[in-house]
Amino acid sequence: MAGLTLRNVEKSYGNVTVMSGLNLDIHDGEFLVLVGPSGCGKSTLLRMIAGLEEISDGTVAIENTIVNDLPASKRELSMVFQSYALYPHMSVRKNLAFGLQNLKMPKAEVDRRVDEAARVLQIGELMDRKPRQLSGGQKQRVAIGRAIVREPKLFLFDEPLSNLDAELRVQMRVELASLYSKLGTTMIYVTHDQVEAMTMATRIVVLRKGIIEQVGTPHELYTRPANLFVAGFIGSPKINMFSAKATKGAHGIHIAMPDFQDFEIDGLERTVDDVTVCIRPEAFRPNGGSISVNATIDLVEYLGSEILLHTRLPSGQTVLMQTGGKAAYAKGQSITVGFEPGDVHVFDHNGNRVPFVREEALA
Amino acid sequence: MKTNVIEKAVEPDVLEEMRHSAEIAHELRLRQQQRSRRARIYKHIFLIGMSVMMLYPLFWLFASSLKPENEIFNTLSLWPSEFNWDNYTKGWEALPISFTVFYANSAIVTVLSVIGNLLSCSFAAYAFARLQFSGKNLFFALMMMTLMIPYHVVLIPQYVLFLNLGWVDTYLPLVVPRFLASEAFFIFLMVQFFRQIPRELDEAAMIDGCSPFKIYWAIILPLSLPAMGTAAIFSLIWVWEDFLAPLIYLNDIKSYTVPLALRLFLDQEGQSVYGQMFAMSMLSLVPVIIFFVAFQKLIVRGIATSGMK
Amino acid sequence: MKKFLARNGPGYVFLLPWFLGFFLLALGPILASLYLSFTRYDMVGDPRWIGFDNYQYMFERDRRFWKALEVTFTYVFLSVPARLIMALGVAMLLDKGLRTIGVYRAIFYLPSLLGASIAIAILWRQLFAADGVVNQILAKFGIEGAAWISNPDTSLYTLVVLAMWQFGSPMLIFLAGLRGIPRDLYEAAEIDGTSKRRQFFRITLPLLAPVIFFNLVLQTIEAFKTFSSAFIISGGTGAPADSLLFYTVYLFNEAFKFFRMGYASALAWVLLIIIGFFTAVSFFTSKYWVHYENERD
Repeated sequence: MAGLTLRNVEKSYGNVTVMSGLNLDIHDGEFLVLVGPSGCGKSTLLRMIAGLEEISDGTVAIENTIVNDLPASKRELSMVFQSYALYPHMSVRKNLAFGLQNLKMPKAEVDRRVDEAARVLQIGELMDRKPRQLSGGQKQRVAIGRAIVREPKLFLFDEPLSNLDAELRVQMRVELASLYSKLGTTMIYVTHDQVEAMTMATRIVVLRKGIIEQVGTPHELYTRPANLFVAGFIGSPKINMFSAKATKGAHGIHIAMPDFQDFEIDGLERTVDDVTVCIRPEAFRPNGGSISVNATIDLVEYLGSEILLHTRLPSGQTVLMQTGGKAAYAKGQSITVGFEPGDVHVFDHNGNRVPFVREEALA
Repeated sequence: MKTNVIEKAVEPDVLEEMRHSAEIAHELRLRQQQRSRRARIYKHIFLIGMSVMMLYPLFWLFASSLKPENEIFNTLSLWPSEFNWDNYTKGWEALPISFTVFYANSAIVTVLSVIGNLLSCSFAAYAFARLQFSGKNLFFALMMMTLMIPYHVVLIPQYVLFLNLGWVDTYLPLVVPRFLASEAFFIFLMVQFFRQIPRELDEAAMIDGCSPFKIYWAIILPLSLPAMGTAAIFSLIWVWEDFLAPLIYLNDIKSYTVPLALRLFLDQEGQSVYGQMFAMSMLSLVPVIIFFVAFQKLIVRGIATSGMK
Repeated sequence: MKKFLARNGPGYVFLLPWFLGFFLLALGPILASLYLSFTRYDMVGDPRWIGFDNYQYMFERDRRFWKALEVTFTYVFLSVPARLIMALGVAMLLDKGLRTIGVYRAIFYLPSLLGASIAIAILWRQLFAADGVVNQILAKFGIEGAAWISNPDTSLYTLVVLAMWQFGSPMLIFLAGLRGIPRDLYEAAEIDGTSKRRQFFRITLPLLAPVIFFNLVLQTIEAFKTFSSAFIISGGTGAPADSLLFYTVYLFNEAFKFFRMGYASALAWVLLIIIGFFTAVSFFTSKYWVHYENERD
């Protein structure tokens, strides 16, 4: 188990710098998820931690030891690859044992660890098969098995679930989470799927174009996104965004936006700006909320336990709302939609969150 | 779709008309099938005729090697009046030195050369396909350029070099270059193949504690057996048939390889030894033909992936 | 330095045999033969510098050099197109709708593997001899054949036929190329009512252009390098009347029969320049007529 420190990490290919001045502290025993759209540098970052990719500048330290020049095999970590990367010409048993044999470990110890991993992952009956005889889920288990037999200080996962079908993905998500709680080892997990990030992480790092947009627990990211990008990226269904004008209000910020009556949010910094107002779909209530407007339903999606309503405001702006309940909705129906000012996120013209100035307003 | 239309068509004459046009369509399709079947038959006839033409020289060689001397040039029949295996037994001993020696010589040179080619070329290919080092692109371009250089251009200085090393009249000039990855074709073939192996396997092995050599030996090579097989077979056939290098470097008849020995027949050309010459020629092709028949798939795939030879 | 070694070391180690081979057996010899080409060198004494004399003699007075060029170029210009057209034609026949393609493919490829062997050269000599099989077959049709090999007017054609016989390897490459052309292009053309002829010129040929180009370059180089068959069929001399005096045969004789190593080196360099020229021309002109399907960047 180990913490990991990245200081001023830079990565460039020739003249192209894809990442610079990146700082990140990963605590001992946490499940950290690196998430972001494709091309954001999350995989590169993971591979730099693994030692598969050189870092152009800065330092990577595991347990306070700088490992910049340490080859991957000496960093005492394991990695699970997107394509599993099982050795096609070796049996499952050989795949699991290969790394241990390279460490010149006594055979008895190798066997003990391999059998233990097989037991934990319930792959005992697959041990003599070749990878091509395995299903996707089985390959995934073997890949994880190969990672755990090494008993590493650090687990790295590079989009390990993206090749599985939806059902298996949910199942493996649960298994990974329980594996984590069993082992308690530091895990760093890369994904582009924010649902995976939200469900498994103890902390999430949101990356975009090689820059860390926000670091925080899933709850923090959801309830207080630091900027417009995070607000839009985290959360499914997607957050609603409205252009608005902000002026100084009596106790906070005064917001004027089309379709709705003006309202005030107490405690927010009193900026005068063109802002973006974001409201989560579940913050909208049909026939409720202190700020409300009449809308027309464009589309109804029944998801079973909940309903997604795509509605259109008089200005043409669309609003997505998520609601429970058993009420029947129909396309073309008129409906009153509303929200509470306290559920609103406001971002300035640079996309940064307009901060609270008085702590007591938080509640 | 069609049945739907027919069901909905209430009027009988419309239905009738439709049935009629369906018949015409069916007829047309049948005719087309017939035409394409006929085309296919013509194609087969043409290809079979061509195959006969392609193989005729080889059949003729084989038949002539069995014919009595006086029959070789006097009859077109590929069927000898009597099977005269004497040509093989006599031909084997027709030269001052027995063909046993020539075949042994050829075998030594071939086996060593194939081993050399496989080792050195797979080394170079692994470096080009997988490892990072300065100057890689330049070296790769240079390697590809050597594909184009005719052997005749380097022949004289190489000869001077080997002469000064005292290697002339030994097998070293034939074998040592093959341990130095001198056949760029094989490097290229293997590079193409290695590049198809997912890089994540290397990376997984790296994390599993493998050195670059261990990755080469435990991952890349076992996964490249088809490419190695292709290279081995090509290499074997080319070395077996190689004529120019032995011609220059081997002067002592005791060290001759099979192609050089065959040439000796030409020097003592005369009707009396034609049968034996054909017999020994045929025999020299047998290993190539056997390997071709046995490993045809590997050879074809090798050419398709490398796009060469 | 340490870092440099850590990063590059393994690569250089794996490339070591190739480095040795490249410098000792390719680059070194090429430069050495450039030097030797300016000398007179008979392997007994040391090479003696004579400036451009070798080249001057070659271009101004050596009629056999010009003869060798003529023979070789004639051979290249006849055999390469013949072999490629043959290869493409057969590949297209084999490409569509035949289940037995493997058998034909094998039969047509076999000569390519055997062609370089001495046995085949010996065989060829007999096939085209005055009393050889070819003439016997012609006689059946009432045609009086020639003494193909001993007649200087026809001897070269026997080698062109030998080259055509070995169309197998470009055929395999064409087959792979044809496989790469999406079937739906032809189906679309079929629906549009495009004739087979037009399909060939509008679809097959343009999409196959990279493969044709590749084969052309490769086969041209191969044709320039032809040696063993010419050497054996001409009895090692280029006979009759120098009609089989392939450039490589001439070079070989100058070097290893007459031990004019300096002059032979000059010949070697001229060959290198010719091949380099052809390769360069085909590469630089390729962009005007080669269409790459997956052009990127």
